[in-house]
Amino acid sequence: MAMIDKRLSRRRFLQASAAASAAAALSGLGSASRLVVAQDGPTGTFNWLTWADHFYDEQLDAIDTAVGIRPNATFFSDNAEAFVQLQEVGGQLDMVSGDALWVPRYYEEGLIAPFDINSLEVSKNLYSVAREFPWWTVPDGYLGFPFGWSPVQIYYNPEFVTPDPDSWEVMLDPKYQGRVVTENQPVEVIAYMGKLAGAKDVYNMTDEELAAAKANLAQLVPNLLKFTDQAQETWALLASGEAWLATANLGADLVVRDELGGPELKRIMPKEGTVAWMDAEMMVDGGQNQELVLPFLEQSNQPEYIAENFLRYGRPLFNEGAYKVLVEMGEQDRADRFLFNEPEAILDPNLTLKAPGLSTEAAINAFNEVVGA
Amino acid sequence: MVGPLETMPVSPHARLVRRALWLLAGAILVFLYLPIAVMIVLSFNESRVVGLPLTGLTLDWYEQALTNRLLLEAVRNSVIVSLIVALLATIIGTMAAFPLVRGGMPFPGATRVFATMPIMFPGMLLGIAILIFMRRVLDLDLSLLTVIAGHLVFTTPFVILIVAARLQSLDTRLEWAAADLGAAPRKTIRHIILPLIWPAILAGGLISVTLSIDEFIITFFTVGPQMTLPIYIYTQIKFGVTPEVNAIATILLAAMLVLLVLGAFVLTARRRVERGGEH
Amino acid sequence: MTELASRSESAPATDGQGSGRGRAIGRLLPALPAFLVLGVLFLGAMAFALVFSFWKTENFVLVADWNVDNYAKFFTVPAYVRTFGKTLLMAALVTLGCLALALPFTYFLVRYVSRRWQRIILLAVIIPFWTSYLLRVYAWQAILGEKGVLNLVLETSGLISEPSRLFVYNDFGVFIVLVYVYFPFAALALYASLDRFDFSQLTAAQDLGARPDQALRHILIPQIRPGIITACIFVFVPIIGEYLTPTLVGGAQGVLIGNLVVNFFRGAQIAQGAAFAMIIALFVTVVLVVFRRHLQVEDVVARG
Repeated sequence: MAMIDKRLSRRRFLQASAAASAAAALSGLGSASRLVVAQDGPTGTFNWLTWADHFYDEQLDAIDTAVGIRPNATFFSDNAEAFVQLQEVGGQLDMVSGDALWVPRYYEEGLIAPFDINSLEVSKNLYSVAREFPWWTVPDGYLGFPFGWSPVQIYYNPEFVTPDPDSWEVMLDPKYQGRVVTENQPVEVIAYMGKLAGAKDVYNMTDEELAAAKANLAQLVPNLLKFTDQAQETWALLASGEAWLATANLGADLVVRDELGGPELKRIMPKEGTVAWMDAEMMVDGGQNQELVLPFLEQSNQPEYIAENFLRYGRPLFNEGAYKVLVEMGEQDRADRFLFNEPEAILDPNLTLKAPGLSTEAAINAFNEVVGA
Repeated sequence: MVGPLETMPVSPHARLVRRALWLLAGAILVFLYLPIAVMIVLSFNESRVVGLPLTGLTLDWYEQALTNRLLLEAVRNSVIVSLIVALLATIIGTMAAFPLVRGGMPFPGATRVFATMPIMFPGMLLGIAILIFMRRVLDLDLSLLTVIAGHLVFTTPFVILIVAARLQSLDTRLEWAAADLGAAPRKTIRHIILPLIWPAILAGGLISVTLSIDEFIITFFTVGPQMTLPIYIYTQIKFGVTPEVNAIATILLAAMLVLLVLGAFVLTARRRVERGGEH
Repeated sequence: MTELASRSESAPATDGQGSGRGRAIGRLLPALPAFLVLGVLFLGAMAFALVFSFWKTENFVLVADWNVDNYAKFFTVPAYVRTFGKTLLMAALVTLGCLALALPFTYFLVRYVSRRWQRIILLAVIIPFWTSYLLRVYAWQAILGEKGVLNLVLETSGLISEPSRLFVYNDFGVFIVLVYVYFPFAALALYASLDRFDFSQLTAAQDLGARPDQALRHILIPQIRPGIITACIFVFVPIIGEYLTPTLVGGAQGVLIGNLVVNFFRGAQIAQGAAFAMIIALFVTVVLVVFRRHLQVEDVVARG
């Protein structure tokens, strides 16, 4: 079956990749893709608070073999959770992943340390736009090593959703009662409703904008089948046909069609705009094993690893070198569908980047008021 | 101890009731195991999403689970933590039940209500508050030990309550009789009280394991650079849980059921030896 | 309870301990570890939570700006009180449901099943609950959902013509799954109490002319009351703080107060979340205090 093939072929690629990396390390082939075998560099383990899809096991094994550095990964789901944890735990963590405008927030609180991103050889693989995001640039350096990104879009089943929508409005259409799914993220959902209401900066909304967003939410809720905690629930509901409309990251349609045997979905970027995320690895200020962080990043962002990560988890990543590897592997089509080669898309003015905004508390309250009994 | 003969129903009416109860118990067991059966079936599902429809059958997830180093470490940590928590909670809770019921504790009613308080709060608040206290006041580094401490906070109340309830209905005249016959308090406890409240202690221990082995949120805030199974599962938000987790859960379940069967045999063998001393 | 204490004190003590105060502290000693866990760790943690509940969260950081706004919010916005009321109702219904199942179940277990099998069945009951809660709830979705097992059975047996979407992603789904999740706690609590019961009393009562239900009501229930109360507490209290089940199977309508409170924590609005949690805890505490006084758990046997 197509699904098994895909998984097997990934595994085969993986073995090839590990072999290639090892071979490259030994024979010194390639420039930016050469694994640096640091004889006298620091070795050991460090602590990394991240999302589960920022790495894969074989990658860590290969890096450990090559340079003797291994991260102890612990996972979290919301930026706020990680933020609270880091505030309390401090130096017991060495590296933390974070989204978009959360990163400067960490910096403001003195939790992370900027670094000279150009000092890392491997950063040459990044798209130049990723090395120059103004919100991640401070006089002392760059605040994080960019990883992946995605706008949030509306996916819909064209068989049931007609005519083709172009706006957030479609989620509120009573025609689709009980057929809409969105994330269990109060601030995000209010943000979407804020977009519908015409607000631009949906994480810092005014009272009027919030009131309008709340009114929109009140119309959305009867249409909702559920708020999902995990992306896979959204995919499953779309695949089974229980849901016809959903908010999701790039690639949801491919998972639903190829891996879950579901219908062919279409996606739109709502005309009012939407939100997007981009994440990066941040170096904790005063981490007990801080000296291992940059050497690890030097290894983990090698194009082969990032390409494999893309194939496994499916969202665009900021690594241009990885795109080239994907093209060589014949996966260009797939990568293009994910807008892999168009990271400038993230700069679209219609996109609002995830941020710890000032209207967070008000947004949560608005959400609670609508959703509560 | 009421032997089987005494419980023999004496009338057709009673027999009917007994049959009805038997059916009910059976139905309840089916109810309890239905999701388990579905969970096991889903572990063989080809689809990478945990849920219907079944797109095909495969053993891939088992292979993946058994070679996933992080997942296996998580399982190991979870089992160790929950066993330690159960042991400690049972000991601590049982010990505390005595002064609570037998006197010595000022304001026993209020204390009992206070002991119930940890389970009133949403786990998230407990997790954050315990984290802050342990870091700012106790200046502890987070590790599995802090996780155990956190788990104890919400499992101990269950043990205290269940043992206290049992202790309460214990006939104290038995203890007086023992004392009259010259037994020291410690001996009384060991040979009279503990055997009589043993089901409550067991129940408390089982509840503690249950609560601890799948606890996610407090663990999340109090864990150091270690991974536990619930955290592994719950935090895969962006990209979802795969049936790999079903696979490991099925393996664990099978292991536990095997242990149960073995334990049952051991218990039978032991009982034949210890026939005299029980009850 | 204090009556009992003095009675067991006056029982002949062959240990010959020292002064009264030394004895008193000695008697409290077993409670020391529990005191450390609950009195120090829990209380210390809650002290922070209490303080924070009077502060403000500004820009995701707690600021010592003392106020009672967080508390006022709970009462000025109707959604919170209403949802809390709904949660209490749900908790009560689930408690009744669990008792309705657990009581006959444990009764059967203790009365008609041999000791060895009792423990085996108890373990068999509890072991499924050692698997991931998330997986079990996903399984319930697969059972109750539109494309799920239940609908399949109902459709093929001809009871319904098209799949029903009424079983899950609503309050009903929450109710079913909560009963499922909390059943073992009720069963264990009742078992611990029922185990001591002398069933021959029931036979004796019936011999003396009592109807079975009278025997149950006047003999069994009073004697296992501590167990029943404990079972109620084990189910009712934690449900007040439940948020996972409503999220997974409650859809957009089955929201409980725990969800609303947790929304604050997930958005790092700790002050607000802490205040709401305190209010809820205070309410439950008051209920327990009243409950306790009203249904005084007397030692029926020892009264002699």
